[in-house]
Amino acid sequence: MDAVLRAMFGYCFLVFIVRIVGRRPGKQMTPFEFVLIFFIGGLTLTGMVADDRSLTNALCQIATVAVMHYVITWLRGRWSGFGRVADGMPLVLLEKGKWRTQTLKKKLIQDDDVMAAARDKGLERLDQIEFAVLERNGEISIIQAKE
Amino acid sequence: MAAKPETKPVEDTVARVNNEVAVGEDLEFQRKWWRFENAVWVVLTIVLILDLLGAFGRGYLAKAEAHATDGSIRVKYEKIERFKTPSIMTVELGPGAVHDGKVNLWTSENLVTKLGSQRVIPEPLVSVVGNGGTLYTFQAARNPISVEFALEPGGIGLYDLSLGVQGLERLKLKIYVVP
Amino acid sequence: MYTIEHAIAGYFFLLLIVRILSRRAGGQLTLAEFVFVFLIGGIVILATVGDDRSMTNCVCGVITVALLHRLISGLKARFPGFGAVVDGTPLVLLKNGQWQLESMHKAHVDDQDVMAAARGKGLRRLDEIKYAVLERNGSISIIKTGG
Repeated sequence: MDAVLRAMFGYCFLVFIVRIVGRRPGKQMTPFEFVLIFFIGGLTLTGMVADDRSLTNALCQIATVAVMHYVITWLRGRWSGFGRVADGMPLVLLEKGKWRTQTLKKKLIQDDDVMAAARDKGLERLDQIEFAVLERNGEISIIQAKE
Repeated sequence: MAAKPETKPVEDTVARVNNEVAVGEDLEFQRKWWRFENAVWVVLTIVLILDLLGAFGRGYLAKAEAHATDGSIRVKYEKIERFKTPSIMTVELGPGAVHDGKVNLWTSENLVTKLGSQRVIPEPLVSVVGNGGTLYTFQAARNPISVEFALEPGGIGLYDLSLGVQGLERLKLKIYVVP
Repeated sequence: MYTIEHAIAGYFFLLLIVRILSRRAGGQLTLAEFVFVFLIGGIVILATVGDDRSMTNCVCGVITVALLHRLISGLKARFPGFGAVVDGTPLVLLKNGQWQLESMHKAHVDDQDVMAAARGKGLRRLDEIKYAVLERNGSISIIKTGG
């Protein structure tokens, strides 16, 4: 049934797009990112559902999405390589007084963002940071320089 | 007594940076991934441009026109249609098509079954179904006459459609429906 | 063409709405704001898709939004001034024992919110705070006195 195919495609496409677009660094999702995800998700689901607004179709497609999600989660657990592709990996941003400029540029991160994370830990200045790591979930972890 | 939980001693499994911070970063892989991401953005842009041009329907590239050599019929249609999306196919009939103030237009069955013809404007006097198609009879007041079919394709794929004035040359069209 | 221009308009409209509405202290969306997001988001989606509910059209809508978001993020990284307009800047609320009243009024933040953030960091009294900063995503960072 092509409702299932549409649901599978929709889910995979959405996961792919979200992975490519990425998010701004930060522990929480900003309200705008939330709205953005909702916008993209809503557009995708409109293509999935198309014209068939029956309950049957809804249940069928929900089940498909649930199965796909389980499969992705299972794959992630089984092969670490898949986890790297699906989620990315932690990236060092600042190491002992030196910025990783290529990483910063590619991830579109400014030093302001790192400083915001540092302030969250109660630090005041950049030179108090020994390591700054961009985690997979967008959070920036700060490891303080030993006094 | 409960069974003992499965344990494994903590080993140094997370790769270290400079032997100091256990981060698990692999810059080689990451660089390859970034190249891949750049390629993806390029592909997405190309897809969008193609869409604007109409390569996926609803645009300049999708519009097509076919006409018979004897001038009896001309069809304005879209080579690429979209699934469950309304569109209009316009059929213009020339003077040679009219007999006794009536025009007989024959269309193959794909127009109704696969391409989902919803309405015919103007309404035909009579429509006879059979022989792999439908024969519409319209009242013709003056020339030229234009008939519109409102389509909403219900199937995906490549479909053949033929239509023509009864007894005269038939046009053969190929229409592709994208999901 | 219709979908793409509506997607672009929808994106900016949502950006504007969220920007005007948000940056309440705390950064989390309240229930009412959730509902609002769903409502506005849903309407924008329907307007973007129009009568064309094919997967092709929806995919193009999603791609438009993704490209646009990438463009905006890139501009924010390149031109910090642009980032200030789109995201706002961090605001100092408390500095060395002085409340920055104008900033607090404008941001609709009161001392209770700052104290709540401080308690979140394990502080007990207001005079333990050296700096309190309202970050761009709405959370309040606390820098303690005494380092």
